[in-house]
Amino acid sequence: MSASAARSAQGLGDHRKGLAAGRLLRDLKILLPFAVLVAVWWAIYLSVDFSPQVLVSPLAVWHAFAHLVSHGVMAEYANTSLRMIGLAALLSLLVGVPMGFAVGINRYAAHALEGFLRFLQGISGIAWLPLAIIWFGFTHTTTLVIVIYTLIVPIVFNTMIGVRAIPEAYTLALRSLGASRLRLVKDVYLPGALPSIVVGLRLGMGYGWRALIAAEMLVRKGGLGDLIFGARTFGQIDRIITGMIVIGCLYVVVDRLIIQPIENLTIARWGVLRQ
Amino acid sequence: MSMAKTSNRSSARRALDQVAWRLLPLVPFALVLAAWIAYWTIMRPPPATLPAVPDVVAVLWELAAKGELATHVAASLWRLLLGVLLGATSGVILGFIVGLNRSVSEFISPLVVFFNAISGIVWLPLVIGWLGIGTALAVFLIWNTVFFIVFQNTVLGVQLVPQIYEQGVQALGGGRWETIRSVILPGALPYILTGLRSGLGFGWRALIAAELVGATTGLGQMIFGATEYHRSDIIIGGCLIIGVIAIAMDRWLLLPIEQRTIERWGLVFDARKEE
Repeated sequence: MSASAARSAQGLGDHRKGLAAGRLLRDLKILLPFAVLVAVWWAIYLSVDFSPQVLVSPLAVWHAFAHLVSHGVMAEYANTSLRMIGLAALLSLLVGVPMGFAVGINRYAAHALEGFLRFLQGISGIAWLPLAIIWFGFTHTTTLVIVIYTLIVPIVFNTMIGVRAIPEAYTLALRSLGASRLRLVKDVYLPGALPSIVVGLRLGMGYGWRALIAAEMLVRKGGLGDLIFGARTFGQIDRIITGMIVIGCLYVVVDRLIIQPIENLTIARWGVLRQ
Repeated sequence: MSMAKTSNRSSARRALDQVAWRLLPLVPFALVLAAWIAYWTIMRPPPATLPAVPDVVAVLWELAAKGELATHVAASLWRLLLGVLLGATSGVILGFIVGLNRSVSEFISPLVVFFNAISGIVWLPLVIGWLGIGTALAVFLIWNTVFFIVFQNTVLGVQLVPQIYEQGVQALGGGRWETIRSVILPGALPYILTGLRSGLGFGWRALIAAELVGATTGLGQMIFGATEYHRSDIIIGGCLIIGVIAIAMDRWLLLPIEQRTIERWGLVFDARKEE
């Protein structure tokens, strides 16, 4: 705090330079552990004579990555996965949040559904995959159904919990002033439950992204799961590792750059800090 | 408010209300069952698409009588136990080492974020080549999933123990080991258990997904093998078993442990008081 204040006193140019240097340092700090990891990997690779079916060098992975990117293959596979998770998240929010409100507002409905939702959460989406394959075949519909199922349960559940946790006094206050149901949803339930909804979305995305990859492995109709599982059949370790890195990076980007900022924002603005 | 209401009622009425309140969670299950039976009686779908309710019960009974069900359940639970034990032990030990060492924890935290993003099923195509199909593969995937969740929570728990307690023990002449044992371990325990609880949820999912392709026994294999013969009765029966086991583990194993530690050492938060 005082350091930045001192810096700003030195003039705007210096301040900008200082910020840029700070950011560079932070980026280096994030990248350094990965550099060490790659070095260790390379050292292990060089010291033991691995067959290319077991482990390949980081350089080979880089070549595979460059190849997949330059031929547009990576973009296509990643696009399929991202579109699927995006669509599933959107649909789950559109359906799950109103459902959570409807259930959460009523004390009896909430009590009745809690156990059922827990039970559904216990049966992971991927366990329904065999049935979905019988119903919808090896299609994108199967994958979408599985991912939506995985995402929607935590969203409904957490929305419900969020609504239940809103003190009744707020609802009563607005009602006594003659607010309509819609007004209650807009001014009490939505802001009050938002932190909880985002928690549900984040958890759902964690489950959903894995369910998506697993479903793609078995449905084999494109997507990053298909990419890495297909590469398995041909023993292309370089492609598998490339795919894993892309899957990890995409998830980190979605989680850290989209969901976490929303979570921080909602908690800072409306929520009580959890714990 | 509810106090005043209930005191007016006769005790018989109150007892009846209590029974109804207890039975309420069964309503959604009954509704789904009724819808299933109704759909089946009216539409008569082919049994490969949707089996009749008695068929599912019969097939579960048959599998149980042949001992097949017990074999699959035992295989799955054994893998889960091994994976969770390994994941929890390594997660807690490394979590303490890293949590007590700020520079180490800053260094590896980007790695943890990345590897957490690809924990579990994403490793399947690579590790199948290393470990082959079977228990070792499933145990690796569960370890991988549970480790990162327990590890992150342990680090967080260790770092969040207020320094004043540590200093208190040290001022009274407690050594490093004494501080860890009597301050940091109990302080971090609620976080560790929360991590374990959510790790088990993710681990169970990872296991089912892994067994779909990477095993010859286990519940996941049981339902995926049934796809080939369009035995939707086995699939639905298997899904129900998966859900029941998940609920049972959470309710009777983890929830009581977690609540006891939180009540004893952590933030006291009793959700039941709200009702």
